[in-house]
Amino acid sequence: MAFQVYTASLLKEGLVAYLCIDTDGAFWSTELNKAVTTETQKVDTLKALAEQAEKDNIVIAAYAIDVEATSNGISPLENRERIRANGPTVLLPQSTDLNAANIRAA
Amino acid sequence: MYQYSQEDHQLLQERVSQFRDQVARRLKGDLSEDEFKQQRLRNGLYLQLHAYMLRVAVPYGLLSSEQMRTLAHIARTYDRGYGHFSTRQNIQYNWPKLEDVPKILDDLAAVEMHAIQTSGNCIRNTTSDPLAGVARDEIADPRPYCELIRQWSTFHPEFNFLPRKFKIAVSGATHDRAAVAVHDIGLRLVKNDADELGMEVYVGGGLGRTPMIGKLIREFLPPHDMLTYLEAILRVYNKLGRRDNLYKARIKILVHETGEEKFRELVEEEWQQVKTSSLRLRDEDIKNIEAHFKDPEYEKLSDFDVDYDKELISDPMFANWADKNIELHKKDGYRVVYLSLKSRNQPTGDVTADQMDAIADLADKYSLGAIRSTHRQNLVLSDVKLSDLHSLWQELTALDLATPNYNHLTDIISCPGMDYCALATARSIPIAQALTERFDAYDFINDLGDISLNISGCINACGHHHVANIGILGVNKKGVEVYQLTLGGSAREDASIGKIIGPAFTADEIVDAVSDVLDVYLTNREDPEETFLTAYRRLGQGPFKEKLYG
Ligand code: SF4
Repeated sequence: MAFQVYTASLLKEGLVAYLCIDTDGAFWSTELNKAVTTETQKVDTLKALAEQAEKDNIVIAAYAIDVEATSNGISPLENRERIRANGPTVLLPQSTDLNAANIRAA
Repeated sequence: MYQYSQEDHQLLQERVSQFRDQVARRLKGDLSEDEFKQQRLRNGLYLQLHAYMLRVAVPYGLLSSEQMRTLAHIARTYDRGYGHFSTRQNIQYNWPKLEDVPKILDDLAAVEMHAIQTSGNCIRNTTSDPLAGVARDEIADPRPYCELIRQWSTFHPEFNFLPRKFKIAVSGATHDRAAVAVHDIGLRLVKNDADELGMEVYVGGGLGRTPMIGKLIREFLPPHDMLTYLEAILRVYNKLGRRDNLYKARIKILVHETGEEKFRELVEEEWQQVKTSSLRLRDEDIKNIEAHFKDPEYEKLSDFDVDYDKELISDPMFANWADKNIELHKKDGYRVVYLSLKSRNQPTGDVTADQMDAIADLADKYSLGAIRSTHRQNLVLSDVKLSDLHSLWQELTALDLATPNYNHLTDIISCPGMDYCALATARSIPIAQALTERFDAYDFINDLGDISLNISGCINACGHHHVANIGILGVNKKGVEVYQLTLGGSAREDASIGKIIGPAFTADEIVDAVSDVLDVYLTNREDPEETFLTAYRRLGQGPFKEKLYG
């Protein structure tokens, strides 16, 4: 069965994020596994939340993507979205001070 | 190098503070994304697959060591410790935060750099020959003309909203190292029979969806008329270029649809309006700018160095590198050195902050403090003494910047592809890496000789695949990445667009396919002197098709 999640980019950081819902309501996480999934026909509810988050200047460029449940968690069906979710598929160049850079970027 | 005037500094500072204000208003919610998007693009800030991407202009590929250190500082402080040199001689940062961008622009402005006009439908950074001013085959130094174009085009009010982006390249040598034929306007400095300097003007070159070689619309334009003539071309384009269809909006389509002859007439007509305007360059205008690009104080040296010769004999690894990555310099006793950004260990064109700092130090130590970026995504130290080459090579080797492959098979151009780019249809870096892994044997690439292999991750062709001897284009076929092979392209003075050889290959097949293509060449070349391109032009597609699909 096809499921969908809502994805966007965080306005401040530009990083990829997914729409999540917990008891306090909607929020955005960079972890796909926390995303709220919905059946394709019910995606309109998420769409409304995503549009609100755009209006609230939390995220930009929100859209729905197809995903499936795998033994490793949620996985996008499209290659592009898998790369968005998991980061570049190549080893990133390493400066000796990469740790510091990573901490800052986190 | 050109040094900013007081007005240049002021203009830049005003622009940074304007953008700082726009960012603050965006973060507060006073500007919507729709309103802000145009502003951020005007400052080189894109939203890419994983994050924002900031493209910083490197005017015609020239960098001082101080600027390189600032680029390292930015990579380290605001990004993830590296940057990426693009085929337009610029540098891109892949992970900046929006709130940090004004600070980055401040740091850039302090060293006379910026990200203005590195995106959007305006005149982009002018590119040029990375050997400008030092090449032995140079007719005239293109840098003063690039700088004049930079000054004319920066914030040009009339050309701020063109139908589409606009790229200009200038070359001043017999050999074209700036790919002028595939730019919206390509200028080639030439001399006429009376030994006067002029320019060949090519218009309507470009890659992307509809690759085209520029048309020569003027064979000899006096340099004093350069800006008025460019103004006339841009006016015609701005007026008649298509705004109704994104795919038909580049000037190449206008030239093609209008016809070369008619387009030339339109430009000539428009030129009459501006030819004698204040844009016409006076002798002193050119001289003033040329003064910024005077030769440094070169030492008077012999072009022979006994120690260098000994090192070549005693150190075969050094000799291999010297054979590939060094070019003659116009001054005896000096050489131009290519720093290869194509090692096995890093994506094409990527440089870490540590490497940037080290390169800046090497530039100070060995090359009069100057660095150049190339459209083949390498760097250049342009003024290295023969006697310093061995020490420099040792230091470059330690930095993984001494792969001996300049203009050889593993000197692969590759755009970021789907690992970074929001427009991509396929990945390109892993293909470049797989090819490098497979063919990274010195004797093999040495035997293959001069050859170019370029990869793009979508039809926009930032990886210049159309003009590679072997070009690879990644496309998405029903959700699977496949790779089209084109053969026979060239970005040099004999520019040509490669032809697709047949159906695409999967990621697993493409390396073998390239290997087959190389086999055909090696089997059929007349002698080792016959390059891949010459052999392909002689043989045609036939034997390559036969081997790949037969
Ligand atoms: S060619 Fe396509 S994938 Fe590559 S950088 Fe350009 S737009 Fe992105």
